[in-house]
Amino acid sequence: MGEPVTLCPADAVADLEMKAFAVGPDHIAVARIGGELYAFDDTCTHAACSLAEGELEGVTVVCPCHMGQYDLKTGEVLDGPPPDPIKVYPVYEDDGKLMVELD
Amino acid sequence: MPETYVVAGANLAGGTAAATLRADGFNGRLILVGEEPVAPYERPPLSKEFLRGEAPFEKALIRPPGFWEANEIECRFGSRVARIDPGSRQAILDDGEALRYDKVLVATGLRNRTLHVPGSHLPGIHLLRTVADADAIRAETAGATAVVVVGMGFIGSEVAASLRRCGLDVVAVEPLPAPCYRALGPQIGAVVAAIHADHGVKMHFGESVDAFEGNERVERVVTGSGMHIDCDAVVVGVGTTPVTDLLEGTGVHLENGIVVDEHCRASVEGIYAAGDVANHLHPLVGGHIRVEHWQNALKQGAAAAKAMLGSPDPYDEVHWFWSDQYDTNIQSAGHVSDWTNPLIRGDLETRSFVAFSLRDGRIVGAVAVNRGKDLRRSIALIKAKAVVDPAKLADPDTDIRSALATA
Repeated sequence: MGEPVTLCPADAVADLEMKAFAVGPDHIAVARIGGELYAFDDTCTHAACSLAEGELEGVTVVCPCHMGQYDLKTGEVLDGPPPDPIKVYPVYEDDGKLMVELD
Repeated sequence: MPETYVVAGANLAGGTAAATLRADGFNGRLILVGEEPVAPYERPPLSKEFLRGEAPFEKALIRPPGFWEANEIECRFGSRVARIDPGSRQAILDDGEALRYDKVLVATGLRNRTLHVPGSHLPGIHLLRTVADADAIRAETAGATAVVVVGMGFIGSEVAASLRRCGLDVVAVEPLPAPCYRALGPQIGAVVAAIHADHGVKMHFGESVDAFEGNERVERVVTGSGMHIDCDAVVVGVGTTPVTDLLEGTGVHLENGIVVDEHCRASVEGIYAAGDVANHLHPLVGGHIRVEHWQNALKQGAAAAKAMLGSPDPYDEVHWFWSDQYDTNIQSAGHVSDWTNPLIRGDLETRSFVAFSLRDGRIVGAVAVNRGKDLRRSIALIKAKAVVDPAKLADPDTDIRSALATA
C-alpha cells in the first residue's frame, strides 16, 4: 500500500452519500454506508461514467449511465455491462480527516 | 439418456441462455447455433464506440474466448436453424443437418427492414445489425466526407452522432416529426433533435426517400419533396422485423414475433423464445410486449434458460434501455405506449430531466436525459405499481423515492 492521502474533512461525506476526488491522475470515490466507509475507483469500466453520480443500494453502487453494478467490498461486477471490476482501497478517518491508501 | 437442448441464435439472448443453462446445472448436450461466423457479442457498441474505432471487437464479446468450449457448449457459428419440426422434435440447419432436441430456445432476433425504392441496390448503401455491417460502414466512411442517414430512430441517431464525432457531414432524413419519435414522443424527441442540430446534423423531418441515384455507387438521395442530397455513403435504419421463418407452418403462435407466456414458453410444447423475437406476456404490463433492447436480451435469455430447467418464476423485469448520443445519456424504463402530456421533472431546456408517463396515478414509464440516478429510482416505483405524488415527482430537489403517496 502507498502513503495515505488526505481527501477531505471526515464530515464531508455524510451517511448514504458518495463523493469523488481527484488524486493525481486518479479519480477516487468514497461512500459512507451505515457508518462504514468504502473507497473505490470512481470511473466505471464500461463507459467511464462517474460512479459517485450514481446510486447506492446496500453495499452496491449502480452506475448512473448504464446501470452497471459493483460490490463495494470487493469491486466485483454484480450486474450490467461493465467488462471489468473496479479497484477498492483502504479508507478511514484520522484526526477528523478522510484518508485513503492507494496502490 | 441425457437430454439435448438447442439454442437458435448465438447473440446476447441465446448466448446468455446457453451460459445460464450450464451455470444452473444442465449437463446434457447443448448446441448453440448462430448465423454469424463469430461468438456471441453485444450490439450496443456497433453504433457507438466500435463504429468510431474507439473499442476493439473483442471488448464486445459476451464471454471470453474459450468459454464455450470449456463449458461443453457445441457452437455452430456460421450456421442457421432453417426450420423447426415440433412433431419429430428436430431443428434442421440450413445445410440439412437435423438436430434432435428435447427443448429448443428460439432467440433469432431481428432482421433489418430495407427500403424498396429505385437505386436501393447501389453500393455504398448500408444497414447496421452485425459487426460485419459496422466494419463495412467504418471502411467506407473512412474516406468519405458526406453521409446521409435514413431513419432517425435510436440506431440512426446513434450512427449520426458517431459519424459527426468522426468529422463527417451528416444529413438525416426521417419521415416522422422528430428523432426516436415512437419511443420518446414529440417533446423529448424535440430535445433530441436540438442536440443533433447543435452538433451540426442537418435534419429533414416528415421526409421520405424516393430514390437513390448514382453511376457506380450511391451519389445522392432523392427525397419525397424533391430534394437531391449529395453523399458518399448512406446508412439506412428504418426498422426491423422479427426472424420467425423457422417456425412458419409449425402451429406455433406467431404474432408480432413468437408469442410466449410469462415463462417464455411458446404455444407448442418444448419450444421457448427470448430476446428481440419474443412477444412476451409481461406480468407488470398485463399484456404481451416485444422489446428490442440489450437488457431484455440479457435478462430474458437467462430467464428462459431457467424456465427450461423448470423454474416457476415468471420473467417480470422492468424493461429498460439506454442510448448515448454525443455526451447525452438517455435512459428509458417501463412501457409507454402514449407520451401525451408527460410529467416533467427538471428542465427540457437544460437537457437534464425525467419525463414520466402516468396512468391512474401510477408511473408506467420514465425517460431520463442526463439524470440516470433519478431513472434508477423510478424503476422501483414502476415495479411497485404504487400511486405517486405528482408534485414531489416533478420537483427535481425532492428525492423521487419520497414521491410514494403514503396511505
